[in-house]
Amino acid sequence: MRNACLTAGLLMMILTSPAAHAHKVIAAAFASGEIIEGEIGFSNGDMAAGARVEVFDLQGTKLGEALTDSDGVFSFTPTKAVPHVFRADLGAGHTAETVLGLDELPVLAGTGDAPITATAPATIVPARDEPHPPTGAQELLDAQRLMIAEMIRAELRPLRREIAAYKEKNDFQTILGGLGYIAGLFGLWFYFAARRRQKAV
Amino acid sequence: MHIVDGALSNDVVLGGAVLAAAGLAMGLRRLTVEKVPVAGMLSATFFVASLIHVPIGPSSVHLVMNGLTALVLGWAAFPALFVGLLLQAVFFGYGGLTVLGINTLNIALPAVLCFHLCRSGLASPSASRAALWGALGGGLAIALTTVFVAFSLALSGDEFLPAAKLVFFAHMPIMAIEAILSGAAVCLAHKVKPELFQTFSQIEQRSTP
Repeated sequence: MRNACLTAGLLMMILTSPAAHAHKVIAAAFASGEIIEGEIGFSNGDMAAGARVEVFDLQGTKLGEALTDSDGVFSFTPTKAVPHVFRADLGAGHTAETVLGLDELPVLAGTGDAPITATAPATIVPARDEPHPPTGAQELLDAQRLMIAEMIRAELRPLRREIAAYKEKNDFQTILGGLGYIAGLFGLWFYFAARRRQKAV
Repeated sequence: MHIVDGALSNDVVLGGAVLAAAGLAMGLRRLTVEKVPVAGMLSATFFVASLIHVPIGPSSVHLVMNGLTALVLGWAAFPALFVGLLLQAVFFGYGGLTVLGINTLNIALPAVLCFHLCRSGLASPSASRAALWGALGGGLAIALTTVFVAFSLALSGDEFLPAAKLVFFAHMPIMAIEAILSGAAVCLAHKVKPELFQTFSQIEQRSTP
């Protein structure tokens, strides 16, 4: 009776436990117009509010800092055309890091750095310095482009989150695989230990 | 409980790896043929227990079961927990491969300390007293592990007290749950397989003259 209760309790806990793992931190960063936008959250879907995000280049030089809002979203305005490393430390060993490569950086606005548009042909460049006189139609087109880009980003956001959550998913096969490895490893040890003993006898 | 890659300074990671290797060597010497099936079973328990989450506030913590592992295995808990941690890192992405040493040390060493503290109580002929010692060992192992984790974070630059408090209080429910589970397991073993604790401690004594 007692054992049955215990087993039932354990089963309940297994079945009701969320499949996600709260103690893993997920960080994502992507270009959003002229700024870099990113998200910090836990793998069970909770977002990290008010977390400090530090930004470094690949050599470890600090480029700046950002704070996440209540939805775990932060934004950072890049000033250098170098790969950006975003690092968040949520305390108690919960850290996450994400790297935004050169080709993923947004267009830099008004800096002396080399234009990175050459390496990032896909980014949208508002054609301000075009030689031909700016027409109303051209401006409208730019505005439309920006609007469409913003729309696509908004549409992709949930998808991005879902992919991040999917990466963290542990299905039954993974668990069974792990158990199989344990059985195999200890079986192997058992075999060798038994053989050693047999030789000794 | 699992510290992730990159959260600790290199010195701490290296030191943890060296100490964990020493513990592993010690544990493998004590891992006799009689203990291997039990070690595998407990390793599997530890591996799966980490999937059982208890939601607390904004975050959630999971079962560890290092206490029970060491109460039964003693030093041989080191290899059992190491294998579990290795597979958790590979399959679930818990912790990481570079911090495997320090994680093994943080989880296995407190549990082994609890084993030495509770072994005489566990061998008690009275089932209820043994269960009480088992519960104490199971709960204390988690408490000590949080202190170890906070200490490794402190060595890497975090403030010790805030980190320790954060980890400790987040794991309070786990301590209670594991104390109950360990106590129940010890009580059950006492009734259906009373030789589990006695035989092993005898073997332990024989293998360490």
